[in-house]
Amino acid sequence: MKALLRRVTPWTALLPLAITVLVGYFGAALWSLFISMTSSRTFPSTNFVGLEQYERLFDNERWQLALHNLAIYGLLFIVACMVIGFLLAVFIDQKVRGEGLLRVAFLYPYAMSFVATGLVWQWVLNPDSGLQNAMQHLGWKDFTFDWIIDQDMAIYTIVIASVWQASGLVMALMLAGLRSIDEEIWKAARLDGVPVWRVYLSIVLPMLGATLATVFVLLSTAVVKAFDVVIAMTQGGPGTASDLPAKFIMDHLFGRANLGLASAGAMVLLLTVLIIVAPLLYARSRRKEART
Amino acid sequence: MKRRSHFTPARIGVYGFLLFAAAFFLAPLYVMLTTSFKSMDEIRLGQIFALPQAFSLNAWRAAWSEACTGVSCEGVSGGFWNSVIIVVPSTILPILIGALNGYCLSFWRPRGANLLFAILMLGAFIPIQVMIYPLVKLEAALGLYSSLPGIIVVHIVFSMPMMTLLFRNYYAAIPLELFKAARIDGGGFWRIFVQLMLPMSVPIAIVATIMQVTGVWNDYILGLVFAGRENLPMTVQLNNVINTTTGERLYNVNMAATILTSAVPLMVYLISGRWFVRGITAGAVKG
Amino acid sequence: MRFKTLALVAALFAAASAPAQTKAPLKAEVIHWWTSGGESAAVKTLADAYRAAGGEWQDTAIALGEQARSVAINRIVGGKAPTAAQFNTTKQFYDIVDQGLLNNVDEVAIRDGWDKFLPEVVLNVIRIKGHYYAAPVNIHMPAWAWTSKAAFRRAGIKDDPKTMDELFAALDKLKAAGLVPLAHGGQGWQDNTVFTFVLSNVGGRDLYLKVFKDRDPAAIKSDAFKNVLLTFKRLHNYVDKGSPGRNWNDATAMIITGRAGIQIMGDWAKGEFSLAKQEAGKDYGCIAGFGPKSLYVIQGDVMVFPRSNDPKVVAAQKLLAKVITDPVTQVAFNEKKGSVPIRTDVDASKMDMCAQMGLAILKDKSRQIGNGESYIAPDQNGALQDVISNYWNRDIPVEKVQRDVLAALRD
Repeated sequence: MKALLRRVTPWTALLPLAITVLVGYFGAALWSLFISMTSSRTFPSTNFVGLEQYERLFDNERWQLALHNLAIYGLLFIVACMVIGFLLAVFIDQKVRGEGLLRVAFLYPYAMSFVATGLVWQWVLNPDSGLQNAMQHLGWKDFTFDWIIDQDMAIYTIVIASVWQASGLVMALMLAGLRSIDEEIWKAARLDGVPVWRVYLSIVLPMLGATLATVFVLLSTAVVKAFDVVIAMTQGGPGTASDLPAKFIMDHLFGRANLGLASAGAMVLLLTVLIIVAPLLYARSRRKEART
Repeated sequence: MKRRSHFTPARIGVYGFLLFAAAFFLAPLYVMLTTSFKSMDEIRLGQIFALPQAFSLNAWRAAWSEACTGVSCEGVSGGFWNSVIIVVPSTILPILIGALNGYCLSFWRPRGANLLFAILMLGAFIPIQVMIYPLVKLEAALGLYSSLPGIIVVHIVFSMPMMTLLFRNYYAAIPLELFKAARIDGGGFWRIFVQLMLPMSVPIAIVATIMQVTGVWNDYILGLVFAGRENLPMTVQLNNVINTTTGERLYNVNMAATILTSAVPLMVYLISGRWFVRGITAGAVKG
Repeated sequence: MRFKTLALVAALFAAASAPAQTKAPLKAEVIHWWTSGGESAAVKTLADAYRAAGGEWQDTAIALGEQARSVAINRIVGGKAPTAAQFNTTKQFYDIVDQGLLNNVDEVAIRDGWDKFLPEVVLNVIRIKGHYYAAPVNIHMPAWAWTSKAAFRRAGIKDDPKTMDELFAALDKLKAAGLVPLAHGGQGWQDNTVFTFVLSNVGGRDLYLKVFKDRDPAAIKSDAFKNVLLTFKRLHNYVDKGSPGRNWNDATAMIITGRAGIQIMGDWAKGEFSLAKQEAGKDYGCIAGFGPKSLYVIQGDVMVFPRSNDPKVVAAQKLLAKVITDPVTQVAFNEKKGSVPIRTDVDASKMDMCAQMGLAILKDKSRQIGNGESYIAPDQNGALQDVISNYWNRDIPVEKVQRDVLAALRD
């Protein structure tokens, strides 16, 4: 009897997970898939149209640009956040004075609503009211920084504001990881005469594997779901130059009352993620099995 | 612990980098603060980096208790307690469930659990707005829609991927020997969880708290749709103050309101510092 | 004998002077997106009028139209519908009607004779298959042109332009004087507003209707429409570099401070002018259009009434519909909102100069025309906005734009 209970207990503990996944996420994904094959407008309809919505999606210039932007944004955002977050964590870990205040200085962007902070970034990056204007007033007459109004460069301004907002959290995660590494490692390395930066790169970084994986997934989900930063800063503009898939989906879900097209977009996004992430997850889980 | 001399080039480099980074990070805050202390006439001139000519706290008072959010003009203070009532259970429960899930997935690994976890992580990539319609119908069928339990359930659902991931990966870095030793000592599922794992999880629990408090406190769309008219969080008032399509925009009030609304997460960040200390697990491994 | 009569009289007297059963106030929860200071003052007039008529107004304000509408729809789907919800004079609520999820207000519409005083554009939107599904609240006009008197003086321009050519001449003079000729906020909907202005003033009523109402391919591919697009693009030469992404209020601020000369924006811009304590005719000018037959583009707000069989809810909805369309409420609301009343048979003497101008134009039925959204579906309007906004910001051959417009407006 006790043995049975021992077998069953982990499963009962996982009940919330099971219900949430099967009914919530899996169910919602299936529902979305179904809707993406109908001509649903404001409300779901059962008018089946096959892959028509997907055809419309791939014919759509705006969607193609959004996907292109997603690749640029995703790569830059993830790399920048991880590097900056790591550096900030490492430097703060050096027993600096005022650590508490510094930590808040880097974390506070995460606490604030993007509606207001996005607008501030828009002001700062706007050549008319922001940095370019200020620098020219200070004497640097040739200083230009007008990415935000440039068709090709606008997406990079979104990267800047997003990195500003998320790096603090990455720093916090890295710091928690760093702080759970044994003090002995540093002592031993110092005894061996290894320079500090070598310790970090060759010894500490590999030990932070789990933290890095967490951060990577966290940032990836943020990338795929990013849309309020676009709305707050450029509204997808100039024109549709800084559009991202999540904003495209949102526009069609609400304003344009096209549930079918929005769902198709969500499905394509999910499929893209699946294709990229699945092999990584599989490889990790295999390594996990090896742990036993 | 050897005391290092404080003026080595390395030391200066460290402080230099940190201060430079801090300047970049604080620049928008500077703009927000100066804007909040200016009058609209001054803001209209468009000099965002200039210090206020006539310093005024009017915008702050207005943001807290006078700004219009509809028929009523009582600022953002109205939703404060609603937000608190939503945040507390929506932080504690997801963290406990996430820790439990992570513990189960990392150490016990029942058959098929990894598949569930994989689907859960994939679910984290679906924009939440796409899931709103099915959730509304589901909650309505269960009689939970538009109520406090309703919004708490929704927060549990949407935070589960990240909370589970945080704890699972954190526990993955804990040596398996520890767990095995505890089992040999006769510990059961719940005893090991409560007496061994939870105490060791303090650093990650702090990070999880930071993430969850921020996420739930700043959540707008879920609270708006699921919480019910009586429980609307502070973010609804904040958005009503800041956002408008065809109305006037009082930027000084908007900035003040944003800073006021973010006070709670900021407080959490400041207080959490106590626990960002070294050596929690180190001690456990040795002992 | 006498006593009995006296008693009877006394009883009758008592019965007659007994207080009538006090009716419980009719509760109405209203979802809307009027959240800024000026809008709040306006919606308060509705709430006060409703209260005075014996109702109780429960306010659920949600900023941003798209947000408010989607919450209203979610609440209807989830079974906790409000009593009334704000929408626009567009096809946004047609899907809800199709699903049978709205109550109609035929009783009020027929009794109060809405057919007699509502502009046809509005009637065509709220009247679906003979039933009235919305109560109109106001009429905004998105295609006004606002001029800065100070900037005009500096550029040496004497009067507000009266034709498109004079507009370009004025813009040139402003440029020469070192000012920003056209203050513009480069967000998709604002680019669309400028386009509407050009289509209405350069294209004229027939072309406008053929493009928006009939979605006639021949009209879209015509030279006349090409000319409209080219004129629209020509205006882009007069905006400053920092215009993309700018909020419309910041563009109006440029007019207010005299940094820019002209802005094409809806009549809600008056809110910003009032906040800066500027007066119409003195500090700024308002142009409703060019020519004696210029069009008044109608873009209004309406209230829809989610379905309910509860007699108290239905009674509240009918009372709301009646109160909202009442002439006195109309003047009070629109005075604060900056829009014009839905009916021209009101006392407009206290409204500002530009509103009175607008109302006078509205009296002429041949000058009434609807905003693009009142003819085409939300998705088509969105796609059109993408095309127009991209054309505004990029160099695209005009023939391709015409083809893209055609594709955007197709079924």
